[in-house]
Amino acid sequence: MRTTAKILSALLSYPTEELRSALPELLDALCADAALPAATARGVARLIAALEAGDLLDRQEEYVRLFDRTRSLALNLFEHVHGDGRDRGPAMVSLRQIYDRNGAMLAQAELPDYLPIMLEFAALAPEAGLPLLADAAPVIDSIRAKLDARGSAYAGALAAVLALTGKEARATATAADSAEATPEEIDRAWEDAPVTFGPDSDPAREAAAAAQGGAQADAACGIAGIIARMKAAKGAAPATPRPHAR
Amino acid sequence: MSHFLDRLMFFRRNVDGFSGQHGTVTNESRAWEEAYRQRWAHDKIVRSTHGTNCTGSCSWKIYVKGGIVTWETQQTDYPRTRPDLPNHEPRGCSRGASYSWYLYSANRLKYPMMRKRLVQLWRAAKNKFGDPVLAWASIVEDPAKAREYKSARGMGGFVRVTWDEAEEAIAAANAYTVKTYGPDRVIGFSPIPAMSMVSYAAGTRYLSLIGGVCMSFYDWYCDLPPSSPQTWGEQTDVPESADSYNAGFIMMWGSNVPQTRTPDAHFMTEARYKGTKIVTVTPDYSEASKFADLWLHPKQGTDAALAMAMGHVILSEWHAKGRGEYFLDYCRRYTDMPMLVRLAEKDGKLVAERQLRASDLPGDGGQANNPDWKTVAINDATGALYVPTGSIGYRWGEQGKWNLEGRDGSTGEEVKPRLSLAEGGDGMAEVSFPYFGDRAPDFFNKTSRGEIVTRTVPVKTVTLKDGSTARVATVYDLFLANYGVNRGFGAEPVGATYDADAPYTPAWAEAVCGVPRAKIITTAREFADNAEKTNGKSMVILGAAINHWYHGDMIYRGIINLLAMCGCVGQSGGGWAHYVGQEKLRPQTGWTPLAFALDWHRPPRQMNSTSFWYAHTNQWRYERLSLGEILSPTHAGSLSGSLIDFNVRAERMGWLPSAPQLADNPIALSKAAAAAGKEPAPYLVERLKSGALQMSCEDPDNPRNFPRNLFVWRSNLLGSSGKGHEYFLKHLLGTQHGVQGKDLGEEGGQKPEDVAWHAEAPQGKLDLLVTLDFRMSTTCMYSDIVLPTATWYEKHDLNTSDMHPFIHPLSAAVDPAWEARSDWEIFKGIAKRFSSVCKGHLGVEKDIVLTPLMHDSPQELGQTHSVKDWRKGECDPVPGKTMPAITVVERDYPSTYARFTALGPLMAKVGNGGKGIAWKTEAEVEFLRKLNGETSVPGVDGKLARIETDIDAAEVVLSLAPETNGHVAVKSWASLSKITGRDHTHLAIPREHEALRFRDLQAQPRKIISSPTWSGLESEEVCYTAGYTNVHELIPWRTLSGRQQLYQDHPWMLAFGEALCLYKPPVDLKTIAPMLGTRSNGNKEVVLNFITPHQKWGIHSTYTDNLIMLTLSRGGPIVWLSEVDAKKAGIEDNDWVEAFNINGALVARAVVSQRVPEGMIMMYHAQEKIVNVPGSEITNARGGIHNSVTRAVLKPTHMIGGYAQLAWGFNYHGTIGVNRDEFVVVRKMAKVDWLDGPRLTAPDADLQAAE
Repeated sequence: MRTTAKILSALLSYPTEELRSALPELLDALCADAALPAATARGVARLIAALEAGDLLDRQEEYVRLFDRTRSLALNLFEHVHGDGRDRGPAMVSLRQIYDRNGAMLAQAELPDYLPIMLEFAALAPEAGLPLLADAAPVIDSIRAKLDARGSAYAGALAAVLALTGKEARATATAADSAEATPEEIDRAWEDAPVTFGPDSDPAREAAAAAQGGAQADAACGIAGIIARMKAAKGAAPATPRPHAR
Repeated sequence: MSHFLDRLMFFRRNVDGFSGQHGTVTNESRAWEEAYRQRWAHDKIVRSTHGTNCTGSCSWKIYVKGGIVTWETQQTDYPRTRPDLPNHEPRGCSRGASYSWYLYSANRLKYPMMRKRLVQLWRAAKNKFGDPVLAWASIVEDPAKAREYKSARGMGGFVRVTWDEAEEAIAAANAYTVKTYGPDRVIGFSPIPAMSMVSYAAGTRYLSLIGGVCMSFYDWYCDLPPSSPQTWGEQTDVPESADSYNAGFIMMWGSNVPQTRTPDAHFMTEARYKGTKIVTVTPDYSEASKFADLWLHPKQGTDAALAMAMGHVILSEWHAKGRGEYFLDYCRRYTDMPMLVRLAEKDGKLVAERQLRASDLPGDGGQANNPDWKTVAINDATGALYVPTGSIGYRWGEQGKWNLEGRDGSTGEEVKPRLSLAEGGDGMAEVSFPYFGDRAPDFFNKTSRGEIVTRTVPVKTVTLKDGSTARVATVYDLFLANYGVNRGFGAEPVGATYDADAPYTPAWAEAVCGVPRAKIITTAREFADNAEKTNGKSMVILGAAINHWYHGDMIYRGIINLLAMCGCVGQSGGGWAHYVGQEKLRPQTGWTPLAFALDWHRPPRQMNSTSFWYAHTNQWRYERLSLGEILSPTHAGSLSGSLIDFNVRAERMGWLPSAPQLADNPIALSKAAAAAGKEPAPYLVERLKSGALQMSCEDPDNPRNFPRNLFVWRSNLLGSSGKGHEYFLKHLLGTQHGVQGKDLGEEGGQKPEDVAWHAEAPQGKLDLLVTLDFRMSTTCMYSDIVLPTATWYEKHDLNTSDMHPFIHPLSAAVDPAWEARSDWEIFKGIAKRFSSVCKGHLGVEKDIVLTPLMHDSPQELGQTHSVKDWRKGECDPVPGKTMPAITVVERDYPSTYARFTALGPLMAKVGNGGKGIAWKTEAEVEFLRKLNGETSVPGVDGKLARIETDIDAAEVVLSLAPETNGHVAVKSWASLSKITGRDHTHLAIPREHEALRFRDLQAQPRKIISSPTWSGLESEEVCYTAGYTNVHELIPWRTLSGRQQLYQDHPWMLAFGEALCLYKPPVDLKTIAPMLGTRSNGNKEVVLNFITPHQKWGIHSTYTDNLIMLTLSRGGPIVWLSEVDAKKAGIEDNDWVEAFNINGALVARAVVSQRVPEGMIMMYHAQEKIVNVPGSEITNARGGIHNSVTRAVLKPTHMIGGYAQLAWGFNYHGTIGVNRDEFVVVRKMAKVDWLDGPRLTAPDADLQAAE
C-alpha cells in the first residue's frame, strides 16, 4: 500500500526525465504491491504508458495545461474546498501541523494541500495519511470525473487514490462542468442561499448553521478538523469551487 | 422542615436567566470558540501593503502562522493628524482585504515557464552550438524558426523550466541583441515605481547598466495631463487627500473619488459635515454623484465648454468689474497675466504671437544672460517696460534672481506689474482668435458660426531693438477677450448678457455641453465667491476621465484657468487635485541613482512610450486623423505632414527621445569613429548631416530598427494599458490578432513625408517577450518566458502615494511560495547570468547615447522664436541645442552583476540631485558603506557600498533622498536657495537629524520630510498641497515666465490654436463607417461612444481574476449601456453583446442601466481576457479586451521640446495615449462560442459559416 501511494505521488507530480526513466520500475512495484483492484491498476498502467509515450515536452505541456492552468483540476485540494477563501490559510496551517506531528517535514516549495504531498505522506504515515485522503475523496473523485470527461489518462491515478482509501469512484462530470452546459445549469451550480438581514431573518436557521460550524471547529486543529472541512465541502465539490462556501 | 440542607453554602446553582430575564445562561459546548482562538494564535504580524497603483498605500497587518499567510486586517497605527483634522484611518478596502487569497490561488504563477516550441528550438540550438549567444542567433536569424515560436504567442503551450535555463535564454537573447543591433534594442516596460520602487529599480538598474531602454508609463496611461507641464512646468503635483477637508467648495470633475480613492474618500465626505459644498461633473450618475449637492452632467468630451462658460461668468462678475482684490493681486504675482504678447498681422488679421522677450528690447532690456528667455511686463507705477525676475532665463547662467519677489531684474526694485492696458495703453485693436466648435463630429453638438472670432483688445506700441515697432497686449487682456467677456470696449458684439449666443457664454455652453445655463452660472458664482472669501479654498478634484480625450488639454486648462483666476493654486484647501495613479514617488531623488544606475553611468536611456508603441506596433500605418482637422484656422496651411512626421521631427530636433536611437549599432559606431580617428560626437553629427546615418525613427519598419527584447514587470501591458491591443498582437508579436482595418498603403491614403514606407508591414518584430508576474495575466499568456515573482507579502520594498504623506514598507511576511522570487532577485540573477554569457561577445564597450533636451537642465533653453529642422537644412545639427545631446558611455559588460550589486563611484564623485537642483552626497555614500557593508568591483579602486538584498536597495533610496534623510533635505534646500536668492533651509532644519531606515517604516508609517523636489510642504501646520512653496516661498514655477503659464507661445502651440485655452470638440477617428452594417449577424446595430473608466471590483486588471471580486459583479467582462440604446438595439440586461470597429472587437455581457446616458457605452478598463471571455463573431478569435477597439493617436503639441516647461522629461511631458474619442458598433451576439474545440483559422471559420 505504501509503495502504491508513493507511486501515485510520483505519477501525479510534474513529469521529468527522471520520472520517465523510473516508469518501468514503478510499474513493477505497482504490480508487486498489489494494493489495487486489477481494473484500477490497469488504469494506473495506462497513465504510465501515456507518460512514457512521445516527447517529454508534450507530457509536460499537458501537465501544465491540466493542473497548473485549469483551476477546476488543481491538485492543491483546498482550491476545491476553500477556493480563494479566508479559511484556506488556516486550513493549510492545520494540515502542515499534522505532517509535522508525524515527523514529516515539508522539504519542497509546494503547499501542504498538494495531492502528491498528501500521497507521499500516506506512504510515510498511512495511519494518519490515508484517513486524510479518504476524507478528501469527494474532491478527488470530482477531479477524476473531470479528467475522465477530458479523456485524460491521469483519471486512472486519481481512481487509484480513491481505491487506496477504500472509496469508490462515483462522480460523473456534472452538467455544469460540461462544455454543453446551459446558462441555467451553470447558474444553479453557482447559486448561493440568499442572505437575509433585519426582522425577516430566521434566527433558528442561523443558530443551526452556527451549531454546525461549531461542530466542525470542535477539532479544528486535528485530523478531525480537516476531515470535517473536507466533508463540508462534499456538497460543493463536484461543481465549480464556490467562493462563498464558508 | 427547613431547607437548610438544600441550601448551598459554597456553590451557587446555575440560573436560567438574569437581569430580569434579559439574559440567559446556556450550557452547550463553547468549543467553537477555539476556531477564533486559532485564528488569532498567529506566529507573527508583519506590516505590508499592496503595490497595485490604486494610490491607497494602506498599511495592513499580515498574519502568519507556520510560514503560511492566514489573512490580513487593516493596520490602525498611523501618526495622528492635527486636532482640527480627521485622522487617516480607517484605510484599506475590500480589494486589499482579499489579497492574501491570491497567494495560494490556482491563478498563481508557480514556476518559470517557457513556451514549448521555443524550448524545443532553444535546447536543440544549445546542443548544437554550446555557446548560448550563438544558439539564440541561430533561432532568431532563421525566419522559419522565428515565425514558428512567435506565431504561437498567446496560444498556451507552456512548460516549466528551471530558473537556470530561463536566465540563460534571457541573458543570451540580451547579449545577442546588444552585440548585433545595439543595447537600445533591449526594452523594459514597468510602470508606477511608487507602488514598489525597489522592484521597479531592479529591472531598470539592469537595463540601464547594459544600455537598454526604460519606457515611460504615465503619459502612455494617459494619466499625464499635459496641461500640468504646460502651465506649471511640473509633471503633476496635487494636494494630499486630507486637504479636501480644508476646502470650502469642492468640484469632483470626472473623478470618481469613492470608487477609485476608497480609503481616502472619507476626507471629502467629512468636509461635507462642516458645510463644504460638493458639485460633481460626470456624464453618468457615478458613485461620486451621490455625494454631490449638485450633479452636472455635460455630454462626455465637452467639459471644456462648461469650464469656459464658468470662466466667462467669473471673469465677467469679478475681474471685468475690478471686484476681488485678492484675485487680481494673485494673478499679478503668480500668473503670466501681466506679461506682454506680440501681436502680428497674418493674412490681413491681427493675431497674438509669442510673448515679448528682453532680447526684443533695445539693449536686450539690460539683460546679458539669456535675454531670449526673459519675459517682459509693464511697471504699473511708471508705465515703462521692465524685465521681471523669475522667468526661466534667470534660472540658468546666473544666480539669485530666479524668484517671485516681483522685482525688476535690472534694478532689483520691487515693482507692481500692470495687468491690463485698458488704461495707459495706446488704444484698442481688433484681434482674431480661433474657434473650433464648428468642427464637432456627429453625435456632438456642432455649432456653425465661423472659425475666427474677433475681439477688441487694448494694446500698446513698443519700439524694438531693430528700431521697428510692434503692438503688444497683456496676457490678461487677451485672456479676457478670448473668454468673450464684455468689458465695454468699443462696439463689442459679445458677452453683453449670459444669454448671448457667442463663445463662451453660459447660453453657448448650454447648447454645446447640455448643462443648463442657470446651473453653470450658479456653480461659477459659488466657486468664485467661496474662493474670494477664503483666499482660494475652492478645489477641483479631477481625473483621467476628462484627460483621456484627444483635446483633454483644453478641458484641463479650462479648469486650471478657473483655479488661477480665483487664486486657488498653492493655497491649502484649494487648487487642482488631479488624482489618477500612484505617480508620487516621494523619495524620488534617492531612488533615481539606484533605478537608472546613475551611480555607474550617466545618462540613462529613457523613452516616451506613446510614441514608441505608436511607431513599433505600426499604429501609425493606420492613421486617419489628418493635420487639416486639427490645425488652427488662424494658421491653416502653415505646417504639413502626418502625425508620425511630427514625432520624427521632434525626435530629430531633440525634443522627444528615441528608441532605438540610430539605425546603426551605437557600439559599432563608436568603433567606426575610432577607426576613422574621430571623436564620436563630431563623427556622428557629420554622418547624420550627410545622410550617411539615419535615425531609427525615420524608418521604423526596417529590421535594423526593431525593438528586439522586451521585459514587462509589475505590469499587464497587453491586458490593461496597451492602446491598440490588436496592433500589438499583429505587428509587434506576430500572432493571431483582430485588426479589421486596412493600412494607408492598402487604402491608398496619404502617406507620411518623413518616414520610409514599406509595402509590407512587418509582423513579429519582437524576438523575446519576458514577463514577471505573480499571476497568469493576459501579458503572461502572450510572453515567451514567464517568471513567477513574489507577491506583496513576500518581498521587501517601499511604497508611497500622492494621497497621503506617509512612506510605507512592503515586507516579506513569508518566503515566496513555490519557486517565485522577488523582482530584485530575478533581475540580479539575470544580471549575473548575462555577465558570464556575454564573455567573448561583449567586453568593455563604448556606447553612444542620445538624450533629448531635458527639462530642468540648461538644455531646456533650446530653440526659441521659430522651429528649425537640421535634416531639412534649416540649421546646423548642434547636439544639445538643435538635435539630441550626444554622450559616450563606457560599459563593462562582464562586470554588469558586480556593478548591479554595488553603489557606483559617481555618487561620491559627481553628487546627486533632481529638478535642476544638485547637491553633494559623499556623507551618505560613506554612511551606506558602513550600513550595507562593503564590496569591490573589477576596475574600480577602493571599496563600494554593497547592494545585495532588497533591503540594501531600500536603504540606498532612504539614505540618498531628502524626503527620508533630514541632512540631505537641508542640503537640497540650501542648493535651491542659491538659485532663488532666498533662504529656504528653514523648511527642513527642524527635521535635520531625522533619518528613516527600512526597519523604522516597518515599525510605523512615517511622514516624509519637506524637500524642494516637491511644491508642497510636509509640515505640522498645513496639509501637503501643490504649488504651496511657489506661492509662499516665492519659488518660481519651472515655466518660461516663472509664473503659472496660461499663455502657450511656442510656434506649434500657436499653429494648433492652443495659445489660450478654448473649447475643442472630440476628433473623428473614422473607425465606424467600414464596419457599420457590413458584417451583419442579423441583430440591430447601434453606434456608441466608448468610455473606459476605472472599476469597482478590481484595481486595473488585478482582482479581475479573483473569484471573490468576480462574484461581486457578473463573473466576467461587462459593458454598461443606457436603457434607450439597449432598447434601440434590442439588447436586454445580461445579454452577450459585441462592440467593434476597424481596430478590432470585444465581447461582454451588457449591464443595462439608468446610470448611463444615451450614446455612451462604458467598459471598466482592464477586465482580463483570460476569464470567461467567449469568441468574437467579428474576429473569430477569443473576445478581446477594452483596448481591442482603441488605437493611440498622437497630438503634435505634446511633442514640443527644448522650450522651457515644454521640454522632455521621463514621464513629465510628451505624447499621451488618448482613447476616449473612439466609437464602436454595438449589437447583440447571435451565437456565443466558447472556442473550446480545436482552433479554426479564419478561412476555416468562413467556410464553416458558409456551410
